Amino acid sequence: MLVDYLERGVLAGVIAGLAYGLYMALVANPLLGYMETVAEGGEHGDHASAGEHAHAAGEHAHEAGEHAHAVSEATTAAVSIGGGVLWGILLGGVFALAFYFLEPALPGRGRVKTYVLAGAGFLAVSLAPWLVLPPTTPGAEQAFDPTFRSALYAGMMAVGAVVAAGSIYGYRRVSARSRPIGVVTAAVPIVALVAITAVAAPTIVEIGAMPAELVAAFRGITVLSQAALWALVAGCFGWLQTRAGVRPAAERRDDLLTSP
Amino acid sequence: MTTTETVHDRIGTARDELTTGQLLAVFAFVAALTFVLLFLQEPLAHDSMHNFRHAVGVTCH
Repeated sequence: MLVDYLERGVLAGVIAGLAYGLYMALVANPLLGYMETVAEGGEHGDHASAGEHAHAAGEHAHEAGEHAHAVSEATTAAVSIGGGVLWGILLGGVFALAFYFLEPALPGRGRVKTYVLAGAGFLAVSLAPWLVLPPTTPGAEQAFDPTFRSALYAGMMAVGAVVAAGSIYGYRRVSARSRPIGVVTAAVPIVALVAITAVAAPTIVEIGAMPAELVAAFRGITVLSQAALWALVAGCFGWLQTRAGVRPAAERRDDLLTSP
Repeated sequence: MTTTETVHDRIGTARDELTTGQLLAVFAFVAALTFVLLFLQEPLAHDSMHNFRHAVGVTCH
């Protein structure tokens, strides 16, 4: 059964990954190429002050112009597209494993459960880390070294998973009595996470010379693309489950209750 | 299959169906792919996946 779930999850991931690879090829690669150009232009125009700022703050500054590329742009574009496909497959596989183990504990009926888990995954993998480390743009200046930031990102993924679990647990405890109060209870851990990070988290990513509107657009499209990827994984997985004749426990129970 | 399954039931079913080695292989594969895609900082790998990591919004550089 676990293997069947994993098979459908990876297949859902392939579909979602191919769509995300297409997004990488048609949107992300050209957009990031343009932003690299903007970052390099801004850096050449204001190189001294940007350098002094980074040095004075004792921060690691990644500046596109200074960055000696170890591979060609074509390689970066191709590997990034391949990475996008693999990312979909990874999310699909992880989603299926998590869904197999957690399906009995997820709220909702039928395919709703898949979307609840996808939402939890999106919160844990992307949204929670972004509250501390927002998506970086080319030319951005970042505090701390990459190893620490990677550890911080991984730590925030764990925090996001705990918050998602708390949110689902709270909803299940309360929604039997009142669904609206259940929804409010589910929102409490998420709102608390947002409030705490807004107050306590240090500013790690400085956008540098990049226009704020361009950064906002890039971050918006990043959030939307990741949300769409999770939704596609959940949608395809649910469809494959239905196609394979897998029926949720609630429906099987209803059949038993209504059958003579 | 019971109609009131729990998470513990699912864990038990997985243990019955798969060996510990098979389960570890699945989780090791997931961990390896996660590390390579998100956290590997080796210059060639990092530069090759530069656009991907920016697009996914993971920490970079």
